[in-house]
Amino acid sequence: MITEKGLWNRLRLRLLFTGPTLFAFLAVMIIPFLYGIYLTFTNWDGISTSSSMVGFDNYLSVFKDTVFWKTFLLTLEYVFISVVLINIVAFLLAYILTSGLKGQSIFRAGFFIPNLVGGIVLGFVWQFIFSNVIVFVGKEMSIPLFSNSWLADPTKAFWAMIIVTVWQYAGYMMVIYVAGLMNVPKDILEAASIDGASLWTKMRKMTLPLMVPSFIVCIFLSLQRCFMVYDLNISLTKGGPFKSTEMVSMHVYEKAFLSRDYGVGQAEAFVLFLLVATITIAQVYFSKKLEVEA
Amino acid sequence: MKSLKWIQAIALMLMVVMIVAACGNKSGGSDKEAAVKITLLNSKGEIQSQLEDAAKAFKEDNPNITVEIIPVPSGQSPFEKASALYASGNPATITMLDTGDVEKFKDRVLDLSGEKWMADTVDRSTALTTFDGKNYAFPLAIEGYGFIYNKAVVDQAVGGTFDPASINTTNALEQLFQKIEASGKAPLIISPMDWSLGAHYLPLAYAGQSADTEAVAKFVNYLKAGTVDLASNNVFNGLLDTFDVMTKYNIDKASPLSGTYERGPEVLGKGEVGIWFQGNWAWPQISSFDTANGQYGFLPVPISNNPSDFGNTQISSAVSKRLVLDKEKNTAEQQAAGKKFLEWMVYSEKGQDFLVNKANIIPAFKNITLEAKDPLAKSISEYIANGKTEDSMSTLPADHWAKIGASMQKYLAGAGDRAVLTKEIQEYWKTVK
Amino acid sequence: MRNRNSSAVWTKSILLCICLLLFIFPFLMLLVNSFKENKAITSSPLSLPDHLNFSNYINAFDKMDYVSAFTNSITITVLSVLIISLLAAMTAHYFVRNQTKFNQYTFFLMVAAMIIPFQAIMIPLVKIYGSIGFLNSKWALIYMYIGFGSPLAVFIYHGFVKSIPAELEEAALIDGCTRTQTFFRIVFPVLAPTTVTIAILNVLWIWNDFLLPSLVLIAPSERTLPLSTFYFFGTYSVDYGPLMAGLMLTILPVLIVYLFAQKYIIQGVMQGSIK
Repeated sequence: MITEKGLWNRLRLRLLFTGPTLFAFLAVMIIPFLYGIYLTFTNWDGISTSSSMVGFDNYLSVFKDTVFWKTFLLTLEYVFISVVLINIVAFLLAYILTSGLKGQSIFRAGFFIPNLVGGIVLGFVWQFIFSNVIVFVGKEMSIPLFSNSWLADPTKAFWAMIIVTVWQYAGYMMVIYVAGLMNVPKDILEAASIDGASLWTKMRKMTLPLMVPSFIVCIFLSLQRCFMVYDLNISLTKGGPFKSTEMVSMHVYEKAFLSRDYGVGQAEAFVLFLLVATITIAQVYFSKKLEVEA
Repeated sequence: MKSLKWIQAIALMLMVVMIVAACGNKSGGSDKEAAVKITLLNSKGEIQSQLEDAAKAFKEDNPNITVEIIPVPSGQSPFEKASALYASGNPATITMLDTGDVEKFKDRVLDLSGEKWMADTVDRSTALTTFDGKNYAFPLAIEGYGFIYNKAVVDQAVGGTFDPASINTTNALEQLFQKIEASGKAPLIISPMDWSLGAHYLPLAYAGQSADTEAVAKFVNYLKAGTVDLASNNVFNGLLDTFDVMTKYNIDKASPLSGTYERGPEVLGKGEVGIWFQGNWAWPQISSFDTANGQYGFLPVPISNNPSDFGNTQISSAVSKRLVLDKEKNTAEQQAAGKKFLEWMVYSEKGQDFLVNKANIIPAFKNITLEAKDPLAKSISEYIANGKTEDSMSTLPADHWAKIGASMQKYLAGAGDRAVLTKEIQEYWKTVK
Repeated sequence: MRNRNSSAVWTKSILLCICLLLFIFPFLMLLVNSFKENKAITSSPLSLPDHLNFSNYINAFDKMDYVSAFTNSITITVLSVLIISLLAAMTAHYFVRNQTKFNQYTFFLMVAAMIIPFQAIMIPLVKIYGSIGFLNSKWALIYMYIGFGSPLAVFIYHGFVKSIPAELEEAALIDGCTRTQTFFRIVFPVLAPTTVTIAILNVLWIWNDFLLPSLVLIAPSERTLPLSTFYFFGTYSVDYGPLMAGLMLTILPVLIVYLFAQKYIIQGVMQGSIK
């Protein structure tokens, strides 16, 4: 550790290096967050000029709000399927794209393109595709699976969400996997090939264990992004048909701004934060352990 | 040491920039001896550019007043945006609200009871924004909805000239559907959006309870109290009977929830269906597909087989958008300029031209005699002129459309029967505070 | 043996091509339909436009006030990204080299804050900054981006600073450099590839962001590109043609930059992931 003389000098250095960042971070994220928690103990509705303290009433409402827990379970299901599929697709793409194909860098660039645009735009374009383009094709070619909009059926609309999510994030995760795969030493793999190890053995015994750090990063990122899904939900399915694809973020938002239950909505956002934090921290903790063991 | 100074300079600059930005805000507000700048929060996205043009025209007449139009972004509700602006201490001078939201803002906006235009408003157009005898809002637009018919299609179906007055019972409506079907066209399209079913169709069951608006308000209170048995309510059942008939003849009945809003104007305009349940705001989209020479009109939604029952010959209409003036953060000059803008819309030639011709709005003022150019607005205006209207429910709870819309979609798709729907509606009303 | 190999390569390539087509299909749809009239868009979404009709583009360009929105987007994105990168690198460096309990907790707090849902702080945020009159300007927005963007940037830099040998810095200090000089002459240049990664991630986020600017920027003259596409959304319907053209105009700048710099961008993201 490098130390500098003098309390004043140390303080000045600290302020210079961490002051601006911490100030902005605390003032923009932490203080509003704490203030938001304070608001959960009031009955403020978002507009009125007065409000009063209501204690834990809002939290009680959160536990009584069955729709909140229903959408939370649905979100869990959505997150689980999406995270698994994103990572499988991304890993496979990365695996093929590091096998020395011609033009692989063009492919890598192409698969990354969905990350260039924001969620609202993606949702809008896909909504157009699901309700106009696919239906059009389905009717012209009389394919029953496609001749009715997927967004009109609860199960299919749910899968439409997953398809778009996988489409959106697979390219990004692929790039991370490509980076991981390129770090797997080639000479060991070649040596194993000469020793007659099959592709599967090589994969299981060498590649996968070396890829654990990449898996941790990708799963963390995809978990976090899927849990927070909101833009896509609102612009692709709007929670429909009949609220069957409403994810928890959207429910929280509607609770606060549509049902005008600001306090309860804010309390739900806080509960959601705690739940997601627990899940992601658990994931990182357990996979770090796995990394050490592997 | 050199680079340390460099860093300090940057940090200093940043601070200065922040301070300047912060102060810039304030000084911007106080610099307006002659020129006044006011803002209007627009929650009617489709008239954004018309409003901007109106602001320019207004400036020609009042060179010292600039009106800036702020839109409510898609996906945000007017209430949310307006409350965010209030929370941020930057409320617009004029805010466009849905009727039901006005009450929440009443402590923060001006009492407009003394304005000149109050004398010219059409009947009952300010009743819902009047609290303790003070009216807080300017009625901007009347909107109406019902069955829009394509005259070419229905004329062909009935073999002659179609008389809209002949459709005054559920049976008459079904016969019309059968005739259209016999002529080789699909009878109607139901657009399955939650707002259409939840905010427009189902509320007819509340509004149709009585011609007396007081009685309707009482009915809603009973719903909240949970003392209404909808299952035995005639109007409610009659409306759903009509809905069952509609479902039976729906062009999309194979997959009733597939349709998008955009499909409605296309099939109606092209004459693939004869009828679409929608409102007069749909004209710009219908006109782009029009094959009926601009001949369209409205039919009421019948709720029984007795032609004289209330609702069978009345079209549902009401003032849907209101303008309120902020009194908290805007200066007296800005408030005066805002009032001037409202008056300009009602009494100046350019303002009236904007409302009726440019924005396709049905104004809520008796002195505006310009005739609407679009057939839907014209049809609604005729019903109003003949006194054949039923007030649309515009003060329902804010999440009514989303919650009840979802229940209606379930019913439309056959995923729940009438008992389920009835139960969900009654349960919903119990949660309303 | 060789034959089998090459046929496997072919199948792989063809499969990849199909996949790639699926990946860019939505963008093709956007492009094709942006040249058509609303009518043709909804009734035959797949057909090619009869002729190159730029009226949607002209309409969108005009309504969005493209030049002003573009300038705002560029200013906000570039300034935010530069400041985030510089400040976060300094903070991460300080945290790594001074691993006190306090610094570790602060770092952990920043990482944990990454999962705060934005909706949870939205209203308190505008309430607080509105009450001190610090809203409705680019500068306020940039300042907020620094706050929201620094946790991830510090997190990524943190991993990389650890990999820089402390001896390197000690040598510089012995040669008479101050800590600050050491950082700017030695550490920051070594971190350049990471800086590229962080810049890219932040550009993609800030350029496309919608919700935060919609809350902070009020005056029309301050609007960014994503904000100005709302023009084509009505209360009940969407004006498809100009909207698609407007979206193309919003995506285009990013796409062009991406085409020229894709190698660095992909490399940047790759490097960003290896801790």
